[in-house]
Amino acid sequence: MRFNPSGTATILGVLAIWEAAVRGGLVTFEYLPAPSGILVAGRGLLLSGDLIAQTAHTLGAVLLGWIIACTIGLALGLLLGISQAARRYVEATVELLRPLPGIAFLPVALLIFNFSLTTELVVMVYASVWPVLINTMGGLQSVAARLHDVGRTLRLTRPRLLAKVLIPAAAPALVVGCRLGLGTALVMAIIAEMLGNPHGLGYAVVSELQAMQPERMFVYVLVIGALGLLLNGVLVAFSRRMLAGYAEEHD
Amino acid sequence: MAGRGASTSILAAERVGLELRFQTQARRILEDISFEVAHGEIFTIVGASGTGKTTLLRILGGLQRATSGTVRFRGEPVAAPPEGVVVVFQDYSHALLQWRSVARNVALGLEGRIDAAAQAARVHEALQMVGLEPNAEQYPWQLSGGMQQRVQIARALALRPEAMLMDEPFGALDAMTKAALQDEVLRLHARTGTSFVFITHDIDEAVYLGDRIAVLGGSPGRLHRIIDVPLPRPRDQIETRQRPDFLHCRLDVHDAILAAGKG
Repeated sequence: MRFNPSGTATILGVLAIWEAAVRGGLVTFEYLPAPSGILVAGRGLLLSGDLIAQTAHTLGAVLLGWIIACTIGLALGLLLGISQAARRYVEATVELLRPLPGIAFLPVALLIFNFSLTTELVVMVYASVWPVLINTMGGLQSVAARLHDVGRTLRLTRPRLLAKVLIPAAAPALVVGCRLGLGTALVMAIIAEMLGNPHGLGYAVVSELQAMQPERMFVYVLVIGALGLLLNGVLVAFSRRMLAGYAEEHD
Repeated sequence: MAGRGASTSILAAERVGLELRFQTQARRILEDISFEVAHGEIFTIVGASGTGKTTLLRILGGLQRATSGTVRFRGEPVAAPPEGVVVVFQDYSHALLQWRSVARNVALGLEGRIDAAAQAARVHEALQMVGLEPNAEQYPWQLSGGMQQRVQIARALALRPEAMLMDEPFGALDAMTKAALQDEVLRLHARTGTSFVFITHDIDEAVYLGDRIAVLGGSPGRLHRIIDVPLPRPRDQIETRQRPDFLHCRLDVHDAILAAGKG
């Protein structure tokens, strides 16, 4: 990531106007804190260890859920991508389940697994498995027919064709799927923590709301945003490195 | 090369036909095609577009099954790509693995079959044969079209095939590159003794490279004629092409293609 002076100036400007508006009494919402207030609250939460504990929970849950979703999504997507028979049996089910918003499962998961990490994971995995699965399947299916010909004329065995030609050819699509899955996992983790698992950043936002602590609430909201930015940034950097050999443009 | 009786042919088509079904309609693509390719021969196939040249090559290479007749490689019926036969495709940019370096593209057919040292030696040898050693660590998308096609040829050579089937391999290249690659094929042929089946719609190319020329025509595609090329080897881009027998042969093929279209 490069430093962007113009963009940073805008952000600082907005913060300055916000600060001035709250302090000067220009906006008088009772619970809209000034940026400086948020900063002070953030320092407090950091020193008390709350911020780190809640962030650690959410980050851990997101990574765990994401890894599970990627494992399931890649495995199923691979199977559906290469086996027409599997597609025939499973595709209708996929199309039926996919549009169902994951959050609708929260009450069900709550009923079965109670207020727990399991509930949080179930909702996360359910929602984030789809982008991984769909991209993996689509990526494999759209590998050029010519590459299948190449594999056959070079007499590659089926596992070798898969490992050396089809999966690498579909790799950019697989990476996109996993990236989309990570974004979904974070969103679903926050929602699940707000409603189903009393831990982590999502829960912290809600409990600060109930405690009428808008400064602290804002701190948590901002940390959630920063976490999303960070996770995506790490993944983008990682996928750039991993796909370094791929042509930027194919003609 | 010993063995199979008096047969000197490496590849043979025996009454090969192909009928494809499109929904309820059956369409005949190829009909009753028979020929034999001799050991070490360059057998070129010409014909107007739509006469099933590419399909015929796919059948010869075991990439597609004929619906009637048989293809034999060293006397054995071909049902899948046989060991010793490799197809080189026209669209090199799709046929190369863009994420693999030149050397690793060439290694693709060897991986897991021979040990690493032998593999490296074969890759080296194949790259040397097409003059791409300095480009071994580059990626295909960093190379010109002609060089990319050389990579594909090297990948086939690395398998040390007895027959190379080339589907209009130089059709997308400019004239200069095309001439250079034609001479490359002739050099490889002289050096390795590999048999070639070479599809082209370029009559000059067919005559320049070929020992014999099969003229395909019509729809469904049939074998119209097989024309012997009387030109001596080695051939030369300037000298060979100025010979009266080159011009005569060229005219002969041209007329055969026209006649095949009418027949």
